[in-house]
Amino acid sequence: MLVDWGVKSIAKDKNTGSIAKVEAMIAHYQPDVMVVENTSIKPFRRFPRIRALSKRIIRLAESRGVTVISFSREQVRRAFFADGQGTKYALAEMIAKRFPDELSFRLPPKRRPWMTEDSQMAIFDAMALVLAFRLKRRERPIA
Amino acid sequence: MTTPQLPNYLRANRKRLALSQDEVAFLLGAQSGTQACRHERFVRAPSLETALAYEVIFKRSVSELFGGLYQKVEREVAERAKMLIDRKDRKTNRQSARKREALTELAIT
Repeated sequence: MLVDWGVKSIAKDKNTGSIAKVEAMIAHYQPDVMVVENTSIKPFRRFPRIRALSKRIIRLAESRGVTVISFSREQVRRAFFADGQGTKYALAEMIAKRFPDELSFRLPPKRRPWMTEDSQMAIFDAMALVLAFRLKRRERPIA
Repeated sequence: MTTPQLPNYLRANRKRLALSQDEVAFLLGAQSGTQACRHERFVRAPSLETALAYEVIFKRSVSELFGGLYQKVEREVAERAKMLIDRKDRKTNRQSARKREALTELAIT
């Protein structure tokens, strides 16, 4: 069951504001595990600010006793598509079908080359990470 | 062992219906979204009437919407049931047997 989902936006000092939001969410939901995108794989695909934010989030979560798991974009794709070749939108469609009540109406229209990415896609990116983690955990043999 | 739940799932259910906190507050008969916000953040527990209004709005039972709170209450009732059983009721009539049966059932939940 999905407990919460959405997009938060920060106007000024984005990283500090983001950390404060993440800290509040950890305090509220007290998660055991946090799944994040691995932004430190070369060649870097994320801006330095995002990479720095990611590191700060990981440090914060670990300091609160939360286990942090990270997946690269490629690992996420491979978890869902046998050949690892599916598009981001195809993945978002799969997730929307998996959670029709919660997410189907949040799926933006397919992006055209001249369009900027809809902020709602961040929800599907986050869900892809969570589902990749769950798929990976199921693969693990029972010790 | 049951999985620990959050005190309530009001936010998830509100988002599922794409309602804002102000809209939920209006349906609850509250002045603003502040009350709904406090319930969602586990700061305050709603009154019985408001809890039932949530059940009407989200079409989920109160025990489901307030899963964590329900678990807590269930545990506390079970503890009290054990205490009642321990207050040795030596009567052996059918009424006492029925009572013991009901309390035992409560104590093992």
